[in-house]
Amino acid sequence: MADLFHNLILGFGVAVSPINLLLCLIGALVGTLVGVLPGIGTIATVAMLLPITFGLPPVGALIMLAGIYYGAQYGGSTTSILVNIPGEATSVVTTLDGFQMAKQGRAGPALAIAAIGSFIAGCAATVLIAVLGAPLTKLALAFGPAEYFSLMVLGLIFAVVLAKGSVLKAIAMIVLGLLLSMVGSDIETGASRMAFNIPELADGLGFATVAMGVFGFAEIIRNLDTGAEMDRELVQQKITGLMPTRKDLVESAPAIFRGTVLGSILGILPGGGAVIASFAAYTLEKKIARDPSRFGRGAIAGVAAPESANNAAAQTSFIPLLTLGIPPNAVMALMVGAMTIHGIVPGPQVMQKQPDLVWGMIASMWIGNLMLIIINLPMVGIWVRLLRVPYRLMFPSIVVFCAIGIYSINNAPVDVVLAGAFGLVGYWLIKHEFEPAPLLLGMVLGPLMEENLRRALLISRGDWSVFVTRPLSAALMAVAAGLLVLAVLPALRRKRDEVFVESEG
Amino acid sequence: MAETTGHLPDRSALQPATRNSTGAFVILVLALAPQIVELLTSCAGLIFNFTGRGPLQVLEAHGSALVLAVPGLAMQSFGGGGKSALSSDTLLALIYTYPLLAVALFTLLVRLRAPQDYFGGVVLMALALFALWASSDLQGMHGFSFGAGTAPRMFGLLLLALGAAVAVTGIVADGPQLATYHWRGPLFVSLAIVAFAISIRPLGLVVSGLASFLIAALGTNETRWVETLIVGICLTVGCALLFPYVLGLPMPLFPRFLVQ
Repeated sequence: MADLFHNLILGFGVAVSPINLLLCLIGALVGTLVGVLPGIGTIATVAMLLPITFGLPPVGALIMLAGIYYGAQYGGSTTSILVNIPGEATSVVTTLDGFQMAKQGRAGPALAIAAIGSFIAGCAATVLIAVLGAPLTKLALAFGPAEYFSLMVLGLIFAVVLAKGSVLKAIAMIVLGLLLSMVGSDIETGASRMAFNIPELADGLGFATVAMGVFGFAEIIRNLDTGAEMDRELVQQKITGLMPTRKDLVESAPAIFRGTVLGSILGILPGGGAVIASFAAYTLEKKIARDPSRFGRGAIAGVAAPESANNAAAQTSFIPLLTLGIPPNAVMALMVGAMTIHGIVPGPQVMQKQPDLVWGMIASMWIGNLMLIIINLPMVGIWVRLLRVPYRLMFPSIVVFCAIGIYSINNAPVDVVLAGAFGLVGYWLIKHEFEPAPLLLGMVLGPLMEENLRRALLISRGDWSVFVTRPLSAALMAVAAGLLVLAVLPALRRKRDEVFVESEG
Repeated sequence: MAETTGHLPDRSALQPATRNSTGAFVILVLALAPQIVELLTSCAGLIFNFTGRGPLQVLEAHGSALVLAVPGLAMQSFGGGGKSALSSDTLLALIYTYPLLAVALFTLLVRLRAPQDYFGGVVLMALALFALWASSDLQGMHGFSFGAGTAPRMFGLLLLALGAAVAVTGIVADGPQLATYHWRGPLFVSLAIVAFAISIRPLGLVVSGLASFLIAALGTNETRWVETLIVGICLTVGCALLFPYVLGLPMPLFPRFLVQ
């Protein structure tokens, strides 16, 4: 326990230095700004802004990237509530009740509850990371290659079960991602694989490049299809009375609590992440509510729960990254990229060797959340005005900004062309209802999976049963198999579809 | 970020026959795509003076590979497993082109109940076959240790099976029609990206940024040129200040011939 406080004090010591405070503020603000803009998601945002952090010291860079990440979560909820357009996938469910509240002239309390819920969830998640960090790092030492491989299989299966649409298509996307990750030099033998003697491919496909293509460019092209001017039902009346009433607080307090718990758990699991946390929290609230019919008509719990859940999950998803070195979702994979650029290898060693880095970042999350709540509520007016910028002006700007961003990662024009090509691929995927998120996760975990698979089989002398004879690995595999069976069972399928149908309603 | 795309009821859905033959033709083109691409790049090579096979050589190599792949394979198996390996062109024909040609034929014969799934699955299969070909020259299992080619082949086969499964669901179960594609957005956004990539080194950020902004703006018919121009100039100036000066990223700003 003393250790914990010691660590947190160390972290806050790092985080409150003026330069880190400033970076945290900039990150949170930029994140909110891009989160507010619909048509560009968290993954594209982080990929686009990655080069901005290159010139900073490692701690500052990570603090800023983390700020961008949770700032974007926050900004997404603002547009959900005010204009019924989720700025981020994580705040899709927030539109259901949030926009109804705004229509009833209660936009102020809705925004405030979203902010308060996020803040409370952020606090809880920060403490959770601090508490779980050390023991999980110890657990990581018991992990051999077989366990790592099984854990990643579990993560991928999670991603399949939680993705929307066909299970088969989601698995196909994961395998495609794994296959794409094989392009480039083989780690062990150095042989060039599927690179066709193109020197730019020798190092493999850059993760940021692919992410920007299938999430950034593809999204822009898709939006252009439907006509650039999306109908935006802007709430016109002035936002008055920011403070929620006593009744609002009483109603939303338990929802915030449940959302935080659920979000924290789902965030830790690989393949889970913030999107599913918000869906799950909303569904849970609706299930246990005394009067479920209020949901969808402006129930404040329907705003509080998903917003707390997505923020909690966004933060706890740092846990597998910092302790096991496994990125649980695409954004975390980009964080790995950022860390690698600064010469940090994520994994159990980081916590011990560079405690100031890890704890500084964790402490900065708490500070960043506090900043968001203080700064953003008065700035709601500005964000709303931003939404009036027409898409016909916004999309060429995003294209140019993305292009510059990718170019500056490696100073390679080929990367820009590749990202464009993956934009077309992403457009095709959308047209055929393939989800791009599992593809990215597959691509992220591909090299790690291959490496651990090879190592595990080498140690066991080619015996495949090693994955089921080692107890920890067997347990992970069993959970994965169980999940997959559940996912294809008709009863659960229907339920899963219901959740997603609801979210689109 | 990930809302579903709307499915417009397609007019061509009323005439499944034409749709199928078009689809089969597209798969046919896909089957020959690597050969066509190599031919085109070799033609471009003539103009820009790349080293590599000339167009005639490419045509001849692939032509003979496509025609003679099966006899060649038969000969080799008769030859008692002689170590003369098949050429890469022949392997391409055997691993990639022939299976896809079979799929194209198959497409003509079946009634597609969910073209969106069917063609999605077929393209995945094509990708898997292509990956299998591309990794065919890599070393395989070496005792119990993995070679460089083991994992790509493993995942390639897995993707092939999954793609086939997705395609089969498109035959046995009812599902959505193909969504309509638009050409304007994808074309101009891609053009803008390519223009940026080509011009950033020689022309610098100011010119290429503005140019790709304006090209991208062609992607919708709602663009109003005066405001677009103003915003484009402001954005370019902003980026020219932000990236090289505030963030300190090395990047050429102005055309090379002006700087000198």
